[in-house]
Formats: sequence, structure tokens, C-alpha cells
Amino acid sequence: MTCAEFQRVLPDGIDEGWSTQQKSHLGSCPACSSLVEDLNAISREARLLRACAEPSPRVWDSIADAIREIESELELVAAEARALQASEEPSPRVWNAISGAIQEMDSELELIATEARTLQASDDPSVRVWNSLEIALRKEGLILQPQREHSVIPFLKRWRWAWMVPVTAAVLIAVGFLNRPQPSVRVAEVTPPKPPAAVQPLSSPEDQQVLEAVSRRAPALRATYEDNLRSVNAYIQDAEESVKSNPNDEQAEQYLMDAYEQRAMVYEMALDRALP
Amino acid sequence: MQRGTQLYAGVALFALLVTASLVKAETRKEFRFSVGPRPSLSIINQYGPISAKPSTGNEIVVVAVLKSDKVEIDQSKNGNRIDLVSHLLPGANIDNARVEYQVTAPAGTSLTLHTTTGDIQVEKVHGDLALEGASANVDVRDVANCHVHVNTLNGPITLTNVSDGHIELTSVSGNITLRKVDGPLVRVNSSSGSIRYDGDFAFGGEYSLTSHTGDIEATAPSYASIDVTARSVKGQVDNEFPLQPKTHSAFSMDTVRNLVGTAGKAASSVKLLSFSGKIHLKKR
Repeated sequence: MTCAEFQRVLPDGIDEGWSTQQKSHLGSCPACSSLVEDLNAISREARLLRACAEPSPRVWDSIADAIREIESELELVAAEARALQASEEPSPRVWNAISGAIQEMDSELELIATEARTLQASDDPSVRVWNSLEIALRKEGLILQPQREHSVIPFLKRWRWAWMVPVTAAVLIAVGFLNRPQPSVRVAEVTPPKPPAAVQPLSSPEDQQVLEAVSRRAPALRATYEDNLRSVNAYIQDAEESVKSNPNDEQAEQYLMDAYEQRAMVYEMALDRALP
Repeated sequence: MQRGTQLYAGVALFALLVTASLVKAETRKEFRFSVGPRPSLSIINQYGPISAKPSTGNEIVVVAVLKSDKVEIDQSKNGNRIDLVSHLLPGANIDNARVEYQVTAPAGTSLTLHTTTGDIQVEKVHGDLALEGASANVDVRDVANCHVHVNTLNGPITLTNVSDGHIELTSVSGNITLRKVDGPLVRVNSSSGSIRYDGDFAFGGEYSLTSHTGDIEATAPSYASIDVTARSVKGQVDNEFPLQPKTHSAFSMDTVRNLVGTAGKAASSVKLLSFSGKIHLKKR
């Protein structure tokens, strides 16, 4: 028996065993003997690998179920498609239903338009509603911080003598100061009181609006509201920075929500019904 | 001599008239409403305290003491819902528009009480409570099985012996104190005021105490069954409570500013979060 003949029957021999003739060839041929040894080793390893990598019967069952489900869905789709193909034109009943739905939608739109026309300025949602919207939009990333405008007057950027404007203003102020009327009686110098450095102004128009409303209705409480709004704004600022630096931090988000909730509460208390 | 006597008599008469006019200006009004089961009462007051206690009958009684005639009370009753509003008249201010309300109502009455400057005190009821006051000192005690929602600006909030409550407290700068308070939801949110909790964290509830700059102190007994997350972004977290460490955490484990751990079966979730305040978890 030659090596070529032996290698032709090699797969059968490995699975079913060797005949006497094949055994004698294996005994005399080191190349074929080594090949058979290698194949046996690979087969052993593969069996071991299969034993540990084989998914459990439950997994196979789940996969089979999923395949069956997909097959049934595909069959359903195919049946629907065949039925649709059979009747290309929808029945009059379908057209009637579509027409009715369109008419209903049309009347609803008209009703909404009428309602919108009758809305008055006083129907504007409360500050709390706007605030909630703002929170939601900020979370969605639809509201961004306003970009600071670098140039106050754009045309000055193009005018080559623009630098003359502040210089002229400074000269005029200096001349006016030197020629100011001198008082006949010397008065004691009074240093105007400085505002406390730590206190930040409430720059938001909404805050100002709220404070004006408080001033009109209960002037004695304005300072309380002002202090508390300042505190809440600091809370919001810190929370926003925290969210920016840790965008995936759930607790940073929680801080921000709590801070906005506080501002909503202050606005509501100021504008809703706790005041006269 | 006779002239001096006349002068004294005139001054005495003037003082008498002034006193009489003041006494006359302060009026007491009593409102009585017959109600069915689970009624609701709303009082919107501008200046002055409101207190509420339980009664045994089916009647809500409200006694209002009006400081002057610059304020009047509007009332309405629709079914089981009663509304009272202090209505300010021209010339009213924080001194002369003060009204003191004293409420006695069936224990199941839901109360909505708003006042700007006076105190709010509620005890021994089990209807839902919505309390609001800018500078009001809010005190709730011995209530059970109800919602308790309180909002203040700088007014302190104190809850004592509140069980099985759905509790939401928000204050900007008022201190918040909870003693023996538990329920499925206890949520406290403060900006600069401190938060103190002394209780069992019972009921398998969710307890969330959050502040911006205010300190948070929580005290619980050693048998408490809690899953604790404590974190201060810029402050410090101190722990004296024996906790089992958790292997997995959503944030970096800087032990000075973060604490996670469990005790017992970890039945209740406890979140103590502050931005720059100090957090202190203690064992009772």
C-alpha cells in the first residue's frame, strides 16, 4: 500500500479503525504514522473544546424558538403580501374610513386654531411650566449657554479710525473735569458706601421680574426673596458645572434637577398665591 | 391745680379711646362647616400663623383672629372642599393685615396651608398635608399614613414622629429637622440650610437628603437595614456607622468625599448628597 492510497482512506480509518493492510503501512511509514498521530491529537482537542464551549440545551431551545417565531412572522407577512397583491385596489369601505379620519382631523385642527385665537396674554403658562420646559430642553442639550459677543459695535471693527472714539471721549471727560465749577465752601469728603464684593447681582430678567412682583405686593419680603434667589442661582451654577464636567454622572444630574426645582419653587411662591 | 386735673383727665380719656379703638379693630371670627369623610381644607394667609389639630366630629371649625379691618376673610364651600383666603384691603401691610387661624378638623382632613410670615403647626392628623410659607416656621408632629409636602424659603421645617409618610420637603435656606420619620419616600432638598435626620430609615423606603452648601447629619440605630450612598462633591463625608463595603459603585471611590455600603438586609435606600456641605452618618 502506497502513501497516496493510505491518505485517501485516512478519514474513514480515523473514524472506523484500520484494516490489517493499513496497520502494516502505518508500521512501516513514519510520515503517515506521524500524520495519523497529529490528526488524532487534533480530534481529541476538538472534542474537549466542544464539551466546554457547547451552549446549554436551553440556549439551543431558545434559538430554535426564536427561529420558529421569525419563520411564522415571515409566513404571516408573505400571506399578507399575497392577499394585498390579490386585491390591488382597496375596497370602498377602506376609502370611506380614510375619508372619515381626514375629516375628523380637519375639524380637530380647526378647533385647535379657534382655541389658539381666543387665547389671551393672561393664559400664558406659569413660570414653573416655563422652568420645567427649560430643564427638559437643557437636559436634551437643546439650550446652550449664550456665546459672548466679542465686538460691541460690529462696524467699528471695519473702521480704521475706531481707536479715536475712546481717546476723544477720554479727552472730553478730562477737560470737563478740569473745568468743573469749584465749590465756594469746602465740604468734608464722603466716601460712598461700597457694595459688598461677595454679593452677586441678580442679572436674570426672570429674577428681576419676580422681585418686582414681590416688591409691588409685599415690599418687606423683597430682601428675603433676593437672598434666596441668589442662593438658588449659586446652586444652579455649581450643579451645571458639575454636569458639564461629569456628563454621565447620575448624581450630578440629580443636583441640577434639585437646583432647578428650588428655583421653580421660589418663583411659584413669589408669583402664585403665597403673596397678597 | 384744677387745670392740672383737667389735663390728666384728658390724657386718660385719650388713652382709653386709643385702647378701645385697638380692641375694636382686632376681631374674632368663627367658621363652622359640616363635612363628610375625607374633606379638604385650604387656607391662604398672608401674614400670621396657622395651627391645626384633630377633632372627633364631622365638623371643621376655623377660628380666625383678624388684626384690623384692613383684612377680611373670603370663604367658600363646594361639597367636601373648603377654601378660606385672607383678602387684603387697601392700606394693608405686614402689621395690620395679620390673621391668626386655629383649625380643628376631623383627623382625615387634607390640609393645604399657606402663609408668608407666620408659623404653621399641624399635629395628629392623617390627611394629606401641603404646607407652604416663605419665612414660616413649619412644625408637623404625630401624623401617619399621609403625604407631607412642605416648601419654605428661609423658614425652618421640623417633622417629628411621622410614620408611613410620603414626604417631600424643600427649603432654600431654612434648616430641616426630621425625628422619627419614615415612609416609602422621604425626599429632602435644601440649598443652604442644614438637614438633620434622626430615625430608623424604616419601611424599605427611599430616603434622599440633598443640599447645596448645607451640612447633612443622619443618625440611625445599629439595627437599621440600609443601602447607603453618601457623597459630597467639595465637602467631607464622615461615617461612624458600621457598614459593609460594596464592591461596585457608580462613582470614583474617594473615601473622603464618597461613602457606599450596606447594613442589615439593605432594605431602605439612603442617599445623602451635598455639593459642598459636610455629611455625617452616625450610629445612635
